[in-house]
Amino acid sequence: MSSSQTKDINFQIDSFVEKLKRRQINGSYHVALETCQLLMKVVSVAKWNHIDQLIQHIRQLGLRLEKAQPREFSCGNVIRRVLAIIRDEAFENEGNNNELNAPMISSMFSLLSTNDKKSNIQPLINSNTKSNKYHDLKSIIIQSIRDLIDEISSIDEGIEGMSADLIHDNEILLTPTPDSQTVLKFLLKARQKRKFTVLVTENYPNGVEKAHEFIKELSKAKIDTVLIPDSHVFAVMSRVGKVIVGARSVFANGGTVSTAGVASVCECAKEYKTPVFSVAGLYKLSPTYPFDIENLVEIGNSGKVIKFSESQLVHNTGLTNPLFDYISPENIDIYITNIGGFAPSFIYRIVLDNYKTEDVDLS
Amino acid sequence: MTETKPISNTSDSSKNKSVEKLDSGSSNTTTSSSSPNTDNDKPKLTNKELKELKKQEKLAKRAAKKENAGIVSQITPQQIEQNKNKKNQQSQSQSSLQQQHSIVKKIEKKNSLFSHLETKEHRNELSISQSQIINQIHPSIISLTLKISSYSIVGSIPRCKAMLETFIKVINDYKTPQGTTLTRNLTNYLSIQIDYLKTSRPLSVSMGNAIRWLKQQISIISIDLNDKDAKDELISQIKDFIKEKIEYSGKVIIESTSNHISNGSKILTFGNSQVLKEIFLHNHLVLHKKFQVIIVDSNPLFEGKQLAKELSSNGLNIKYVLINSLSTIFQDSIDFVFLGAHSMLSNGFLYSRVGSALIAMKAKNRNVPVLVCCESIKFSDKVQLDSVTLNELSDSNLLINNGQKRQNISLDKFVQNHEIKPIQSTKDKKEKDDSSKVEDLSNWRNNQYLNIVNVMYDLTPPDFIEKIITEVGALPPSSVPVILREYKSST
Repeated sequence: MSSSQTKDINFQIDSFVEKLKRRQINGSYHVALETCQLLMKVVSVAKWNHIDQLIQHIRQLGLRLEKAQPREFSCGNVIRRVLAIIRDEAFENEGNNNELNAPMISSMFSLLSTNDKKSNIQPLINSNTKSNKYHDLKSIIIQSIRDLIDEISSIDEGIEGMSADLIHDNEILLTPTPDSQTVLKFLLKARQKRKFTVLVTENYPNGVEKAHEFIKELSKAKIDTVLIPDSHVFAVMSRVGKVIVGARSVFANGGTVSTAGVASVCECAKEYKTPVFSVAGLYKLSPTYPFDIENLVEIGNSGKVIKFSESQLVHNTGLTNPLFDYISPENIDIYITNIGGFAPSFIYRIVLDNYKTEDVDLS
Repeated sequence: MTETKPISNTSDSSKNKSVEKLDSGSSNTTTSSSSPNTDNDKPKLTNKELKELKKQEKLAKRAAKKENAGIVSQITPQQIEQNKNKKNQQSQSQSSLQQQHSIVKKIEKKNSLFSHLETKEHRNELSISQSQIINQIHPSIISLTLKISSYSIVGSIPRCKAMLETFIKVINDYKTPQGTTLTRNLTNYLSIQIDYLKTSRPLSVSMGNAIRWLKQQISIISIDLNDKDAKDELISQIKDFIKEKIEYSGKVIIESTSNHISNGSKILTFGNSQVLKEIFLHNHLVLHKKFQVIIVDSNPLFEGKQLAKELSSNGLNIKYVLINSLSTIFQDSIDFVFLGAHSMLSNGFLYSRVGSALIAMKAKNRNVPVLVCCESIKFSDKVQLDSVTLNELSDSNLLINNGQKRQNISLDKFVQNHEIKPIQSTKDKKEKDDSSKVEDLSNWRNNQYLNIVNVMYDLTPPDFIEKIITEVGALPPSSVPVILREYKSST
């Protein structure tokens, strides 16, 4: 029974990894949700003597998933969130028994001492814990993962709530990320209370279809919508009141990764002192720091830049088609998340609240 | 013809006034009734101006009579046929244009950022209203107008050169009507041609400067000169002007810019500038330098593609990217950004192809020097503060029908012709999917809330520009008005 269950779960993990590798799951929202659901299954099937075993198991799984699509951060973020949840629950569970065993570090000197003793002792104590406690913990963890799923799926509502506070009547907004569903919902919600104009960049060549869909949706909701090519940003920026950006992932330093071209738009907004706000769900917050910016950017199909049918040109020229841009924190004014708006300099704090430092590096 | 009149009446711009007058002259209606009208319209006119107006009217009337009687016989039968064809086309397209006209009215309801700018439909309308004087337009002007409006001649220097070369033809074929002198009538005649030319696209600054110069040259020709000599003199002057202001100045710019290119340098450029292309080719082919050119391009015109084609076929090291990958491109160390210009404004702003400003800003923020190569004929005494107030609207539909889809349609035709049935069916399906998507947006004009904007130019602030290289030397943007003064005094 249990072996078939583990087989089943291994199969699910494999298929998820394949899907990630093939980029079959579109958008970080779906990736986050599916990762959550997978983790819930993994936890429900998993057996462990000590909570560290479960944590180790999930860390390994996380490593696999991150390798499957290294630049899809929401997957790793969700895993770290779940790890933090497990650690919290375990701590609470154990906290009742072992409060004395884990004293607060009260002195600087103890920082230097090794923790070998502690890790030796802990398993001994844990092996004594009763089986019903283990089941309790399991159901508690599953319940918190379920809560996390609820949080992720209702993230737009939290963000939408602030829309009317950020937009005034007859304002002209510009969005360089028509592929973001969060931006779309944000604007639609704001339309219920405000009348405004939205300029939408075309995102040629990677997002043209999505941009067209986006402007159709907006115009259906009776929002004045203007489609502009990417090159027009500087020309129109003097008229723009606010720039609204969808994020792909947000880093602890307040920087963000978004669609290609957005960095230029934000720089341009900075030049004109136009406020830029980024909308992002909490699951997009990543506890990592972007040290190697070049590595964050995924390169797409260069056949979209020049058709391969123009073989003469393709043959003789270097082509590149980056899909993302890194936007440094100084070019963004605020982040709107489902738990409120924050300055980029404060993001590290939100990260600390939601993740455990020991999980930042999964390997 | 009679149907078009109300349109020209409704769109009563100041430009049209002269046209209407000419119309009334050519159709031989009561001119006496029209002149009091204009008097009533503008009671503030001084006597001198009134006299001039009347003189112009007379001239126009005479010119029109000449057109009908004398000059037409001079035109070769081929040209007449051409004219007829043009007329037929015009009348055929009139109905469609009138449809567009109704569309224009619909659009005007929308409040858009650029609603104050003249649209292509407006220009088409103008050309309808001018179709009555089409027999006064020289055929070569008509063909030039078509070439410019279809963007087969782009860039302010090529347009200016093509215009001047056409003027040579026009002046060559020109016959002074009896009773006037060439000095007086030719300017007028050219103005009509230029008005028609304007219906294709607004004149570029270089064209405006060239026209101003030409009119001045005409006005200082002595009256005693006979027609042929005067025409020869003008033509040789125009040829000299092309050589001096366009060709040689290009060469001087190439010489002085070449100092900035050395072996191993990386140069970023945007779009397709005539003079920049020559610089790159000169440095590669003549000076044998090894360097990389990064061409940044943008939807919808893709002018950089043309540049990339020409440079890569000559063996240059080319990198071609689109404007949304700028940030990635600037992570490499770039030595210079070279930009072309449409015009340099006298407050030091660069008026150039839309997107230039974004690139100049990025370069400035990364301490990459931005050089602008620009002939002094492009210097303008206008001042402008932002790109929205004065600009040229391009065709918005270019954004909907991407090149890809156009290609698909031709591919589809190809497949249909060759009747490969299994492939055809799948292709058809794809095509249908595509077209259904396109159709959703193609009726965007009917959607009150949807607007698509496509302008041609933007303004780059002077603080982004390191220096401007002209044939009179390299200078900072703040020195543009100095050059303007020198230039004006020299001509």
